[in-house]
Amino acid sequence: MNRHTSGKWRSLLGRTLALFRKRELDEDLDEELRSHLAHAVEENVRQGMTRNEARRQAMVRFGGVAQTREAYRTQRGLPVLDTLGFDLRYAFRQLRKSPGFTGTVVLTLTLGIGAVTAVFSVVQGVLLHPYPFRDPSRVVVLRETVRELEKLSPLLPVNYLHYANLRKNAHTIEDAAIFQNDGFSVAVDSEVANASDESAHPRETEGLNVSPTFFSVLGVTPILGRTFTDEETQPGKDNEAILTWPAWQRYFHGDPSVLNRTLRIDGVPTAIVGVLPPSFRFPVVSMLPNESTFGSTDRYEIFRPFVVNSGVLDETDGDYDYLAIARLHPGVTMAQAQSELDGLDKAYAVTNKLGSHVGVAVEPFAEEITGSYRKPLWMLFAAVFAVLLMACVNLANLQIARGVARSHETMLRSALGADKMRLLRGLLLENLLLGVAGGLGGVLCALAAETTLLTAAASLPRVNEVHLSAPMLAIAVLVSVITSIAFGIFPALRSLRVAPQSALQMNSGRVANTRDAANARRVLVAVEVACSVTLLIVTALITRSFAHLLTQERHFNADHLMMAKAELSTPRYLNSQHDYHDHANNATNDARNAVMDRALERLRSLPGAQAVALTGTLPLSGDSMIDAVERPDYNFPPGQTPLVNRRYVSPGYFKAMGIPLLEGREFAASDERDPHVVILSEKAAKTAFPDASALGRTILRNGQKFTVVGIAADARINDLKRDPAICFVPYWANPPYTPVFLVRSAEPEKALGPAMRNVIWNIDPDVSIPTVMSLDMQVSESVATDRFQALLLSGFGAAALFLAVLGIYGVLAYSVSMRTQEFGIRIALGSNRSGLVRLVLRDASYPLIGGILIGLLASAAATRWIRSLLYETSAVDPWAVAMSLALLLIAALVASLIPLRKVTKVDPMQALRSE
Amino acid sequence: MGDSKSDVLQGTLDLMVLKTLEAMGPLHGYGIARRIEQVSGDTLTLNQGTIYPALLRLEQRGWVKAEWGMSESNRRAKYYSLTRPGRKQIESETENWERIAATMARFLAPSN
Repeated sequence: MNRHTSGKWRSLLGRTLALFRKRELDEDLDEELRSHLAHAVEENVRQGMTRNEARRQAMVRFGGVAQTREAYRTQRGLPVLDTLGFDLRYAFRQLRKSPGFTGTVVLTLTLGIGAVTAVFSVVQGVLLHPYPFRDPSRVVVLRETVRELEKLSPLLPVNYLHYANLRKNAHTIEDAAIFQNDGFSVAVDSEVANASDESAHPRETEGLNVSPTFFSVLGVTPILGRTFTDEETQPGKDNEAILTWPAWQRYFHGDPSVLNRTLRIDGVPTAIVGVLPPSFRFPVVSMLPNESTFGSTDRYEIFRPFVVNSGVLDETDGDYDYLAIARLHPGVTMAQAQSELDGLDKAYAVTNKLGSHVGVAVEPFAEEITGSYRKPLWMLFAAVFAVLLMACVNLANLQIARGVARSHETMLRSALGADKMRLLRGLLLENLLLGVAGGLGGVLCALAAETTLLTAAASLPRVNEVHLSAPMLAIAVLVSVITSIAFGIFPALRSLRVAPQSALQMNSGRVANTRDAANARRVLVAVEVACSVTLLIVTALITRSFAHLLTQERHFNADHLMMAKAELSTPRYLNSQHDYHDHANNATNDARNAVMDRALERLRSLPGAQAVALTGTLPLSGDSMIDAVERPDYNFPPGQTPLVNRRYVSPGYFKAMGIPLLEGREFAASDERDPHVVILSEKAAKTAFPDASALGRTILRNGQKFTVVGIAADARINDLKRDPAICFVPYWANPPYTPVFLVRSAEPEKALGPAMRNVIWNIDPDVSIPTVMSLDMQVSESVATDRFQALLLSGFGAAALFLAVLGIYGVLAYSVSMRTQEFGIRIALGSNRSGLVRLVLRDASYPLIGGILIGLLASAAATRWIRSLLYETSAVDPWAVAMSLALLLIAALVASLIPLRKVTKVDPMQALRSE
Repeated sequence: MGDSKSDVLQGTLDLMVLKTLEAMGPLHGYGIARRIEQVSGDTLTLNQGTIYPALLRLEQRGWVKAEWGMSESNRRAKYYSLTRPGRKQIESETENWERIAATMARFLAPSN
């Protein structure tokens, strides 16, 4: 038995190998057969036959060279594979015979699969891909709720003391960690920063100050060294850093002895105590939930100890400035943790007699990070899926038409005795070929789209985790094949079901009009129309919302304004490291003021500079530095105190930014002696002084009196979507650590940017300059997510419209061409052509109207779902609906023009003869 | 063709080829065909060509091996010879065949 099986295996092996050396083996056989015949002839001649007779006898005895060769080949090869190869070639030829059909199907699949794959890769990377933490579902973000600050945001970052209380007393969590965003100016210690070369200046890097438990809460262990100790949280003992893998590569080229080396961070040599594993990534956690974190790169490279200084410990109420994460005990639900922590916080407030009403909110980490992006991404995925669905409908439509057109041929083949299974296999192979071609095209398309998509989506959190993996691409091809077979084989099966004689009796044209085929196609077109109506309405809404965002009045002028942000973070500028609470250190204040004054002066002398100013906060980077405004002459009721964003600006700021001043004056150089003046934005002025003009009135900040010298228009300098309440303060009052220099100039950006950088570096080469960009660019980046949505949706909308046109055209053209003969008869019998046109139009209008109605219903549901994504645009915008319907009707009309023209051109004689 | 001749029974050709190679040693295709015709006398109609698919089948199973060589008349010819598994196969095939022949004989014997 063993011998037998081994014989079989050897045989299979030999046969398989033989597939690859057909020609060689054929030649071998031919030579062997020639040798056989030669021997036979020779023997016959020896027996006395004539040469010719000998030859004839030899051939007779041999019994057919051709048959032998065929039998030999069958024995040599794999018969199943051979017929499969034959069927495959046949399928290929069939497809090549109708290049229009094949091209349309492959292109449709390519675009459909490509778009779905590309968008899904983003959904997967941003929303579905698990975080590289141990058991990530147990990691939560802790926030505090403060009733008195509800207007600012329902959820706030945490206060350190409140956090410490929770961490100490809570039983539902294993542990908690506190951290804070920070930026570091980093230079490799060996480098001497004196050249004007850019690499000689420190590099601005994003990082976090983290408490010692940060990595253990995440369940991440350094691959080199250790995490921070409790001692390192003490002020002055925090000269340590932990690097991510990329930072280790960048600054130390992966040197394994890095633990003995230092990195110059903010001008101070800092010991490296640990290196994190390559898979570790920590996403941006925004200060306020659902705040857009555009421009953030998710690339924290450096971790420093979170220092518990006096400023942190003094604030029992207020100072909600820190982010906290915790790991739940296994089996503990969000609700349990929430209720315990909330109770602890409330008890703490009572024990310590806090003036405000606090509480805790627990949120899963994954939702916290991507919360506001969930809906837009799923919406895009739904949209692209609708496009794929429409593509499939078109495929089914094409396949029905093709199946019907071919039913004559199929019937003929089966009547002549073709094996049904073989016919089915042929169909299967055709669709397999189409599916594979479309799938491979889709993969290429997705790869090509990926780069563009990622550039457009650069503002999404975790976007650097988006990539097209091999399994995803394999699945794409598989989906394509399944789609193609599912939507191809069922229509084709119909033609196999028809009894052969009926197919033979009819001509192919009449089969096409069998009622169920026509009905199936009408339903398909209706589905398609419904999909595109929904998609068009959603697209119109999102696009209108985006257009509104771009064209609304912003009250600032972004043209020709260049910005350069400097980080004054070396020791000569810092009061004490990372201690922003102490404003009293005059030496470092003077150092910062001096740099800023000199820079402003030199920037003014740049060629073409029309206005020069500075601000302490990069425009369009969201709300920050939020303060309560109080009045000496009025006590706001609790919870009613107006909140404003504090912005330090220089004289000339309003002119440079193009923000109109409604009342009063700009800051002037003369304000330096007594910087207790403010300019309020109109909104801030109206909230603080609802009764009369705020000009000349006095406000209290931290107990100090400030006079309102001007009122500015509500400029959307924090976020294009909101009018913020802003209190502008002269920068001398508290010189900013990150001054942003503004230069309005007609000079080209390419020249102006480096010039501004050089001015600053000529004053101090150790200053890092992380951002040099135009305000225009910043505006554009701040709406990147909205643009991404609008662009992608417009693309899908256009695709949907195109597919609908194709679908409608296909159905009409086909039915017209199939009914040519009928029309010929009608004309011959006296029907006029406009009657025929009406006939065709009526035929087309049923699925169109049906589809529109379904589409309107579907979009009513869809627009309700996306309402929160719309900016100052109503979800039932009649304009959007009207535009979408008009567009679709025009498209339908265009689609029916050519078929209708054909109707009017029918020549009755020709139509009747063509039978 | 006369009725007295019979076609080669399916499956018997392989055994004939193997036996021929066992008796004669390495032999080319024509030689094998001639030998089978001679041994069977005039009782078999053998299309000589059918020997080649059979040889290939035996080669694929590893029972014979083939090599190009020179024939006695100084022509290039492919010589087939038995392999060790081939020799073993002859034993089991012979046994098998004898069993079938005996069974057939029992069927064909006058039953009463």
